[in-house]
Amino acid sequence: MLWGAVEMRLISKKVGVGLTALSFSIGGFAVFGSGPATGATSKTSSAGDTITVGTLYASTGAYATSSLPEYAGLKFWAKQVNAQGGMYVAPLKKKEKVKIVSYNDQSDPATATTLYDELLTQDKVNVLVADFGSVLTAPAITIAKDQKHLLFDVTGSGTSFFSSGANPYVVLTSLPVSAVWPKPVAALLTKLKTKRVAILYCQNDFDQAQATAIKGFLAKSGITPVYFQGVPTTQTDYSTLVQAIKATNPDAVLELGYPNNDIAFLNELKDTNLHFKFVLTPFFGQLPSLFAQDVGAKALDYTYTYAVPPTLTINTVNMGLGLTDFVKAFAPGNASSVNFLDVAGYNAGLAVQAAFDHATSMSQLGIRAGISAVSGKLQTLEGTFKVDKTGEQIGELLPVSQAFPSGKSFALKIVYPAIPSQVAMVNATPRYPAPTG
Amino acid sequence: MSKNPLSSPAPRGGLDAKSREARGARAAPTRIWGLPVRWGRWARRIVPVVVTPVVLGFAPHIYDNLAFLTTMIVYVVLAEGVNLLYGFTGYLPFGYVGFFGAGAYGAALSLTYWHVPGIAALLIGGLAAALIGLVLSPLLRLSGAYFALATLAASQVLYYIIANEPWTFGETGTSLPEVFSPNQIYLIALAIMTIAIALTVFVKESRFGLSLRAIRSDPVSASMAGINVVRTRSVAWFISAALAGLAGAIWAIMTAAFYAESPFALTISVYAIVFALFGGVRTVLGPVVGAVVLYSLYQYIGISNPQYFELVYGVLIVALILFLPGGLSSLVGHPGNRPKWWKSITPRASLAPVASTPAVLTPARETDQDPSGGISRRDGTKDDDAS
Repeated sequence: MLWGAVEMRLISKKVGVGLTALSFSIGGFAVFGSGPATGATSKTSSAGDTITVGTLYASTGAYATSSLPEYAGLKFWAKQVNAQGGMYVAPLKKKEKVKIVSYNDQSDPATATTLYDELLTQDKVNVLVADFGSVLTAPAITIAKDQKHLLFDVTGSGTSFFSSGANPYVVLTSLPVSAVWPKPVAALLTKLKTKRVAILYCQNDFDQAQATAIKGFLAKSGITPVYFQGVPTTQTDYSTLVQAIKATNPDAVLELGYPNNDIAFLNELKDTNLHFKFVLTPFFGQLPSLFAQDVGAKALDYTYTYAVPPTLTINTVNMGLGLTDFVKAFAPGNASSVNFLDVAGYNAGLAVQAAFDHATSMSQLGIRAGISAVSGKLQTLEGTFKVDKTGEQIGELLPVSQAFPSGKSFALKIVYPAIPSQVAMVNATPRYPAPTG
Repeated sequence: MSKNPLSSPAPRGGLDAKSREARGARAAPTRIWGLPVRWGRWARRIVPVVVTPVVLGFAPHIYDNLAFLTTMIVYVVLAEGVNLLYGFTGYLPFGYVGFFGAGAYGAALSLTYWHVPGIAALLIGGLAAALIGLVLSPLLRLSGAYFALATLAASQVLYYIIANEPWTFGETGTSLPEVFSPNQIYLIALAIMTIAIALTVFVKESRFGLSLRAIRSDPVSASMAGINVVRTRSVAWFISAALAGLAGAIWAIMTAAFYAESPFALTISVYAIVFALFGGVRTVLGPVVGAVVLYSLYQYIGISNPQYFELVYGVLIVALILFLPGGLSSLVGHPGNRPKWWKSITPRASLAPVASTPAVLTPARETDQDPSGGISRRDGTKDDDAS
């Protein structure tokens, strides 16, 4: 009884403690009220001796193999520009040197969030360039929008980044959004008269959006996938999955993953001697050297993929280096080591350069106006740079290519659709079904 | 013949100071933090609740990376949630991130579908996590490694469901409207952190907390002493889940655009547990200090020497386990809990009286005695004096 009374008194005091806590939180609010404010208006880039470009890269984790080449491409661009005395900054009417400020997010989106903010609040970079892919770009989208800072999104092609109303603070520099990618693949499958299509995809925006899109495209041709399965992006054991796919007796197999997934899947096919008439993986075309090294050139024969630079060789440009010159300068004597993500990083730098070249002022919206000015007119080694009002890339090509045996290695040739004349690349007829052995 | 003081049962309402001393218990403190006991005890309750938010409220004036500071506070809340569950009940939730993810998606989906105000989205996030806690409450029948692994599996199940469902935007990722400015999010995070600390103070100082500690020591004995074991630990489980849910909701509103793998990343569980252990569980400020110190270090190394990040963190965790199993708070807490190496370099600390009494489950009255009653646990440690 006595204890009960004491306990009640104690609890009522605890309530008091809680109220005190809340009141002090509110006190903290007042204290903090005079703290740093996010810009209500578009920020103005300082006009120092250099233009600082802030970016993140991942040296470890799931995205390292893709992030590092992209970062290398961006650094190469800065080196090239500085060797020419800097890039022209229209509002200042002079050339400025470029400085890359970068941090390692270790493929962790939460770490990326704080580091993007670090670049803006502490380093006060002039422009922000995102890390590889949608997952690591997503935090930058919010921070850039909140702080009204222009973000150059290199390969984050997530549909949600560009669908929530017009956002002037994001520009996708490479590749169309994920859902557009598989359009030529679906058309090719229809052309090849495939009926039984198996789709295995990783559960991330990039792959899942492609899987859903291709399912929709195929539905228009009356094709329903015989296998449609999502797996975690961390999946590297495909032993039971390939057997399950085999059991459906498919005419075509599409494995949509990131490099680690694609390599593991192709290795499983090689190890189990499973043969399908048509196999497509997205990253083989972006990282052919890595795939040749990890899977073996022979095992990649007749595999389909998206054709991107450097496989898609574009030399007719009006800014930066053409593809052939880029490959020579980027990796002298080792052309095969150059991959798409090197090109994408370099291309992002060219987009930054074009923006400052045509900027109407040093404000973030002034720099964005520079992008609008060159949209559709800029020709780089990735093709036509064209963005819509949401910042989505709509100018670049993504045809389907197939690996054909070429000596001890293979050659990627475009098989669908026929490509424009400025693209120096061989058109070929698809080998379907893929020969065995 | 004098009567053996140890042979008689403890009177209801606890022992007076003289009896406790006769039974070999530590002497009742005469002052706490240099204040008379009554005032000192209240200071010990109120100061952490007041000082922490005020100090962190000023932090943006020194370092205005609000994404970092807000994430740090999110980890403080998570570490306090782990503290409430693991520190006071002994249940180690490896799958704690499941509640965090549930809170993140509770807030995100309520904002997307129902267009609720931001504060309501936060509360829905906390509620969603508590509901998941209710669904998973049968896991409390397990213990030790089985409980830890079961929560881990449950969090992964939840992740796969959310990542695969179109209505959760598992495919395209979320794209939330801006309901708060970064400054507002930071202040709301401060308020939720304050509630988390106040809850920890309540649990540490109240009869409810005493019941939890009794359950932690020996559930059977606690049950025989009249404690409703199932109900008491379930309440702690729900509170802990709701705190993680609130933390997840703050994170979701701050991040706005994210994919399921981000709020369900297992590193979130690992960091929350490591931060709580580093600071010291069963204390109020231990998890706060652990989260602030280690997450700041995380940011510092990440910026200055990212190549050494894993090395430094790994060495820290190994050192913690070897030399500081009770966390940082054990250095300043009850002398009986201090590491031997620390006592050897701070000889004055070892002069303080050490409790050697067996468990006293009867709560002390609000007199000069420590409300914990100097409970000893099976692992030989004692409840800490450190805040």
